[in-house]
Amino acid sequence: MRLPTSIPAQTAALLAITGLCALLANAVAGPRRHLAWFATPMTAPPIAPLIAEPISATIPAAIPTPAQPTPALPTPAQFPKAPTLKPTPSEVPTPQTPSQPVREIASAEAWAVFQAGAPFLDARRSADFEAGHIKGAFNLSVWESTLDEHLVEFEAKTNRPPEAPLVLYCSGGGCEDSHLLASRLFKMGYRNLLIYRDGYPDWQANGRPVAAGAK
Amino acid sequence: MIRLKAWLLSPWLTVRCQMLLGAIFVIAAFPKLMDPPGFAKAMHAYKLFPAWGIHPAALLMPWLELITGTLLALGLWVRTTTLWISALLVAFILSLSINLARHHPVDCGCFTTQEKPKTESERLNDMRWVILRDLGMLLLAAQILTAQRAKSKMEANTPVSSGR
Repeated sequence: MRLPTSIPAQTAALLAITGLCALLANAVAGPRRHLAWFATPMTAPPIAPLIAEPISATIPAAIPTPAQPTPALPTPAQFPKAPTLKPTPSEVPTPQTPSQPVREIASAEAWAVFQAGAPFLDARRSADFEAGHIKGAFNLSVWESTLDEHLVEFEAKTNRPPEAPLVLYCSGGGCEDSHLLASRLFKMGYRNLLIYRDGYPDWQANGRPVAAGAK
Repeated sequence: MIRLKAWLLSPWLTVRCQMLLGAIFVIAAFPKLMDPPGFAKAMHAYKLFPAWGIHPAALLMPWLELITGTLLALGLWVRTTTLWISALLVAFILSLSINLARHHPVDCGCFTTQEKPKTESERLNDMRWVILRDLGMLLLAAQILTAQRAKSKMEANTPVSSGR
């Protein structure tokens, strides 16, 4: 067999081998390593950014809110740098605002919603989830091909109305996985999505209940 | 000066550049091959690529790195593989430079797909170092291509023996 000698012929061979290897490797990859060739583009829904001042109100968990049109709000990339709330014992959670189907929440509100029994959804990779997560959280990693399967499991297990609050979190800081998961859940009809902005590192730093291992 | 030029284009140096550049690309490919979703996430963080292109790129690019790196380290298809590696390096440098210019810190995702807990300024500083490192690798590629061209020229100018 003659090997290609010209640059275009070698390039074509190189690309063909690359494509073939990628196809085969992805076909035999396990659920954690598998990546869909063409994924549905995930764009974040309008998200209300974190408001610094605490508002006195009741815990939002029990208040289902109807979906209402939302004014144009910044995308995650355009978020203003909101100061982080330091949880204090006197602080009470912010209320669910009906006009904000997706909004960011601070540490204190996340804790209050947790105590009220709202489900927490962990958008991080499954390996990170297994290493440690918020107690009782569901792992819905947006980057893994198990997402659809886990979403079905979650819906079957919890059977919650779309207006009931759900708390989404990832690694805090610049992590956008929880926003991407919010986009997915928003498309599925959920209209009370609370994004815990500071995420798992903040939860851990506050000494709140955590668990380890797969769920 | 002539001696320096001769040394810079010497087969001794060229072989070492090929092996070094090839090995770097092979080493860089492995973590991405082991974790395509992690690499897709790293690419998404750059905010430069269309959503539909991230998954195919995350699946193909590590294999392209592995195959070109292996062939180059073995001294096969040297010009083609070096051109591809140079193209990849230029793409990496541009992606990082654009994000650096717009003050958007990202994890390089070059040798690992794991996110590291870093401050914004640490990330930006790392990006500067990665650009410098990639420019250094681009110099290795330039050496290989220049030496290849000089070799081809020399071969073309060598009179063919009559066979007597």
